Amino acid sequence: MEINLNLVAVQIFNGIVLGMIYVMLAMGLTIVWGMMDIINFSHGFFYTLGAYFAYTFVSVTGNFWLALIVVPVGTALIGMALERTLLRKLYGLNILYQILMTFGIALMGREIIIIIYGPIGKSFFPPRALEGTFFLGSLFFPQYRVFLLLLVALITFGMYLFIEKTKLGSIIRAGTEDKEMVSSLGINVSLVFLLTFGLAMAIAGLSGVLASPMRGINPFMDWNILGICFAVVIIGGMGSFSGAVFGGLIVGVAQSLVGLIWPSASIIIIFIVMSAILLIKPRGLFGVRD
Amino acid sequence: MKRLLKEIRGLLILGIIFFILPFVLPYRALATEVIIFSLAVIAFDLLLGFTGVMMFCQASFFGTSVYLTALSIIHLKASLFLAILIGVAGAAILALILGSMATIRKGSYSVLLTLAFNEMIYFIAYQWKGVTGGDDGLRGIARPPLEIPGLFKVSLASETSFYFLVLFFFLLSFYVIKRIIDSPFGRVLMAIRENEARAEAIGYNARLFKLLAFEICGIFIGLAGALHVLFMNFAHITNVAFDTSGNIVMMELIGGIGTLFGPILGAFLVVLASDKFSAMWARWPLILGGIFVLFVLFARGGIWGIIVSATKRFERSSLSKKVGFHIIAVSKGESDN
Repeated sequence: MEINLNLVAVQIFNGIVLGMIYVMLAMGLTIVWGMMDIINFSHGFFYTLGAYFAYTFVSVTGNFWLALIVVPVGTALIGMALERTLLRKLYGLNILYQILMTFGIALMGREIIIIIYGPIGKSFFPPRALEGTFFLGSLFFPQYRVFLLLLVALITFGMYLFIEKTKLGSIIRAGTEDKEMVSSLGINVSLVFLLTFGLAMAIAGLSGVLASPMRGINPFMDWNILGICFAVVIIGGMGSFSGAVFGGLIVGVAQSLVGLIWPSASIIIIFIVMSAILLIKPRGLFGVRD
Repeated sequence: MKRLLKEIRGLLILGIIFFILPFVLPYRALATEVIIFSLAVIAFDLLLGFTGVMMFCQASFFGTSVYLTALSIIHLKASLFLAILIGVAGAAILALILGSMATIRKGSYSVLLTLAFNEMIYFIAYQWKGVTGGDDGLRGIARPPLEIPGLFKVSLASETSFYFLVLFFFLLSFYVIKRIIDSPFGRVLMAIRENEARAEAIGYNARLFKLLAFEICGIFIGLAGALHVLFMNFAHITNVAFDTSGNIVMMELIGGIGTLFGPILGAFLVVLASDKFSAMWARWPLILGGIFVLFVLFARGGIWGIIVSATKRFERSSLSKKVGFHIIAVSKGESDN
């Protein structure tokens, strides 16, 4: 079989763009998991919620740029409300109950979205300014994807600075390694949990906004991407920020390239990569602790 | 004699209830579904309730057995027992592979792995259209007769005769699982549930025991899957999708984790409620999710837990009338421990 090199280059680019969505979601998952020890099954729901909020916001105001700021604030507030009312009642219990709780929330959330928006998918277009295409020799790159790539790179860098350089970031890092120590140092863990969860839900909402002009919106979009993001987090290692970034990019590119050769195996390859890495490095690529 | 009676008391009660059940419910098929899911849930209860291992591979075991049983009937013209055996063997092998990978890690990491594996099996079944039929599934799988060559042959075409076959498998499985739990092996599983580090410190290989529990769970969920495809006469992609895992987890939670009888009650309620309400309102999962949240918040012991604590309270209050308040003080002190 002849493989067109130009096509490979374009697929790698598409893979990185797709990987950027995974990176955004995996960052939130891994921070919540590492800090709060919650496997957040409702993470995919917040991604869907971000997409639908953006759809409503763009159809009412017509302003995509403002949606990039307003929607994440909205999903963060909903996330923080849920943390305060439901999740915090379960801290200190077996992890099982947090899994079941977030699963129940995701189940309800999806149905509420179907009641409001109907089961059929929706779509909206990227803003005018980003509708064109960049040409590079015989290669072409849609402007929206280039924009998404740059924006997520910027956000990821911002998150890196936040986690490495700020006080809250260092508390999150410390909490991922040893929660007991953090609380015995007199830090208000309850407040940190609230902020961590809010931040993760803001990024999840934002990734929903960014993905929807590219991938469309439907009420069932949460589940498939959540399964993939769990694989990303396992590949990267629990609670590891760089793990989420590299894991997301590896998975995105692998999925795109395999899609070129053997489309029906493009998602299965993610789980094969995950199993292989698990066997070689049980903690994942950048895992910090058990 | 007395000991034997005590041992099989639970089995007898279940046998009587399930003997009557198909004649009480609006239609027979509902009772068959209740019993098949009861089997899957008690198998899962052995793993979650008695070993303390959470996982989301239920659909993988269930679905693998569904497809293998269906395929062996379609392509090999397998007899009833052979078809079931092939399905269960497939689930058992899968449980061994996934279990050995999932037990590499502990706690939430392990749960996440089982979830990812479940997604992997789903996507394989979904994409491998030549074998599994993909989204359409496999249709028209005829139920082979119950037959021992040269001895007898019974057709299972009627829902009633098939129900009693399923009941036989269920009671047998219940007895085996109960015996496993009551055996020294079962005690080790409970020791691991209570404190894994301590169980390891006294010399038990916790990972091996967890893997064995995984395996037993896989075998019996596989049996449930094989019976389910014989019951439905078709194999569908939802059998291997997360929905099936979620349903089984839900029955377990609602019934009461680690109570063995509770999960059967859970299966009964979830199957009946889904049957009744999903036809009435398409958005019924909204209520299902709400029930999930409410049980996690307020009734983590499940319905069985509610029943047990209610009977205890009742006994205590009737006792206190006779003997006065000392008993309350004593029994309160006990329950606080």
